[in-house]
Amino acid sequence: MRTQQEYLIRYKDGNLYCELADIWIDPSKPVKKALITHAHFDHFTFGCEEYISTKETAILLKERVGDNIKIKSYEYGEEFKINGINISFHPSGHILGSSQIRFIFAEEKWLISGDYKLQKDETCKQCEIVKTDYLISECTFGLPIFKWDETNKIANDISKWITNSPEKTSLLFCYSLGKAQRLLNEISQTNFKGNIYSHDSIHKMNNIYKKLGINIKDTIKIENKKKIDELKGSLILLPPSLSKGSYLKNFKNIQTAFASGWMSIRALRKRSGYDKGFAISDHADWDGILEVVKKSGAKNVFFHHGDSEAISKYLVEKESINVLFFGK
Amino acid sequence: MSLKKFSELFVDLDSSNSTNNKIEVLKNYFFSNDPIDNSWAIYLLTGKSNKRFISGRYLKNLFSQIYEYPVWLIDTCYLKVGDSAEVITLLLKNKNTSRKKELSNISLNELLSKTIPDLSKLNEEEKNLQIKNIWERLPEDYHLIFNKILTGTFRVGVSTGLITKSISKLINIDEEIISHRLMGNFKPSIDSYEFLINRKINLEELNSKPFPFLLANTIEDKIFKNSINDFQFEWKYDGIRLQLIKRSGNVSLWTRGQELVNESFPELVEKMSHIKDDFVLDGELLVWNFKEQIASDFSLLQKRINRKSPTRSIQIKYPIIFIAYDLLEINGRDIREIKLENRRIELEKYFSKWQNKIENNISDIFKICDLIFPNDWPDALTYKEKSRENNTEGLIIKKKTSIYSSGRKKGIWWKYKVDPMQLDAVLIYAKGGSGRRAGLYTDYSFALWKDEELIKFASAYSGLTNIEIKELDKWIRKNTIEKFGPVRSLKPEMVFEISFEKIQISKRHKSGIAVRFPRITKWRKDKKINDADSLENAYELMKKIS
Repeated sequence: MRTQQEYLIRYKDGNLYCELADIWIDPSKPVKKALITHAHFDHFTFGCEEYISTKETAILLKERVGDNIKIKSYEYGEEFKINGINISFHPSGHILGSSQIRFIFAEEKWLISGDYKLQKDETCKQCEIVKTDYLISECTFGLPIFKWDETNKIANDISKWITNSPEKTSLLFCYSLGKAQRLLNEISQTNFKGNIYSHDSIHKMNNIYKKLGINIKDTIKIENKKKIDELKGSLILLPPSLSKGSYLKNFKNIQTAFASGWMSIRALRKRSGYDKGFAISDHADWDGILEVVKKSGAKNVFFHHGDSEAISKYLVEKESINVLFFGK
Repeated sequence: MSLKKFSELFVDLDSSNSTNNKIEVLKNYFFSNDPIDNSWAIYLLTGKSNKRFISGRYLKNLFSQIYEYPVWLIDTCYLKVGDSAEVITLLLKNKNTSRKKELSNISLNELLSKTIPDLSKLNEEEKNLQIKNIWERLPEDYHLIFNKILTGTFRVGVSTGLITKSISKLINIDEEIISHRLMGNFKPSIDSYEFLINRKINLEELNSKPFPFLLANTIEDKIFKNSINDFQFEWKYDGIRLQLIKRSGNVSLWTRGQELVNESFPELVEKMSHIKDDFVLDGELLVWNFKEQIASDFSLLQKRINRKSPTRSIQIKYPIIFIAYDLLEINGRDIREIKLENRRIELEKYFSKWQNKIENNISDIFKICDLIFPNDWPDALTYKEKSRENNTEGLIIKKKTSIYSSGRKKGIWWKYKVDPMQLDAVLIYAKGGSGRRAGLYTDYSFALWKDEELIKFASAYSGLTNIEIKELDKWIRKNTIEKFGPVRSLKPEMVFEISFEKIQISKRHKSGIAVRFPRITKWRKDKKINDADSLENAYELMKKIS
């Protein structure tokens, strides 16, 4: 077995790093060269000298980091070389522009899954199964208690939740990039036909999605001084950061909900303080992770992001897959 | 009617934080369902059925065996979820078979009166097979309810009060009547539900039941402006509040929690049944120290509370006494509407009559409370400060001209506690101690209710004995929901009485309040988490003190 230093990709200072190319993947601190899997805040940082990503992610990054960053972008599947390593992005199905990154060097394939899901999502490209020798996978929901319902079932639940309380204003909290647009797309296919408002942070992302040709419903940007009567029976999408504190005082007679995979657990739902939780996630559930691991053909798997203990032990015991551990 | 409706009710109640909303949801449920299912729903929602048919451990092992899942993996999941019934429910989602959902129309009644009880008639192998069968034939949405009833852990944030309010709204009859009807042993049946919603009020049927209790409020400053002579003063005993009822020769002991506790205190029932008169007394049950003539510690009473049919030696070891402080009914005559001072005269009159009959022999188990006669308010304060010496909690102050109404009515009874700054809170986090306490979970965080949510309000380390610390530590390890470094979040189950010196508004805390020198003064094993105080109680306390 190789020592950690001999792997093509390894952990350095808590981040994934490829020494041969001197390149970092989703680094949490400013570096020279950063490959970015997708534009969620916990996957990039400000101040890198150069960013490399998919076309869509590049646009989102510019919105979030600033127009003046140096960024190189590629199409999905397009190969490029750094220090003799072949690198390419492949759809991961997480959000618009999200990618898995494949490295090929000396006939050895490595795949960094990034965040991914297999479930239906019309606002981004379907996750591609990429063959690899080494797989570095996320496992945010790496326990068998996580089993996602069909997306349209959740959308219908949300629709019912709103229409069953026509006298109330329904506040649905969700991540502003990805989740919000996926929900919009799904909800517009349900029986709910009322007005949908969104917070500025979500509204901005909606516009980028639309510019990139994604079909999502128009929403009204929420103004602080909206008349309460107008909001009755309508849906308002807000980022989770606004759920605590005084912002909610802008509304009267509300019901609140949070859309997140964690909401599948009753105790977390109760503790979250929202009236209701909708278990919808942009990450793979237990079966999803197992499917990707098995179909990738990887002989060696590493997990990061999440509790990896249980799924590692399970794969070793039940599937005889070699699970390796990185020291952070 | 199917289990479907009840399942939807559960989801609706579980995802609502508004009391009015819950009442409305319940009312609609009762309106549109069969009496028999309704009676079961009430039975379940008021927590009257927590019989455990099989244990959580058994359920987990069974799942592991059927679906070839490693037990360690199920246990790891349990740490995230904190409830065996829910873990199995979530895991079953992965095991959805294509079998026909033959049980999709099963009624709540059939499930509870037949399907589940029948399990205990089977041998282990048959039982396991039957549970597997039910899992596969029951629609996924009902699994949680089934598993929770099976493991005796069905709980949802609904109090008897909410049921009372919704039934009261449904049939448009006073809450007090409904609450009266709901007291005691509610057995699920068509009859019991129809009795509950009967629009005709039948006095005789209500006869064996206690009156709604009159509760004391925390002392208010304005009371000190009144003449001391307007009030009756009693010691505030720290026991179990009881209504002792004797009607048509039958004695019943009712707690404030609407439980009939005759079986726990048979010696009291026996002695009181010798008295010739019929009556309803309101008073306190205590374990009594006959040598010193003071109340024993509450912890001794706890040894009797949950023990049914205590042996003779237990009765001798923990001798009880009933101290009556009010007479509500005498020989069929309801005297709640007459003034307290006159009720007291009646109480004394009858007590001396009963006591003087030698054949009654009640003096070692029944007395009436002594009154205190302070000269003025400062004198009352001195009495209050002395209450620790006779193991009481302070004073109860009652307006002499008041009638016995129900609930926590203002301006009638007040409690004036030695240490008024006390709240009953739920343990939600524990952290490992250091030094002498290393290896044990000794730093605790406590929470109060805010609607249906528990909000942390204080942390405390002191107040428990070493034995209690060890016992609690064991419990903590078994009931952890999540670990964050050294901190564990715990299943909300344990209630503690927290005392403190000062309470004030704080913007830094989520609860909005800060307390000074919080400490644990009692492990309230007798209380359920729904009995814990709310933030609202804390704010009231703050108002009263400032």
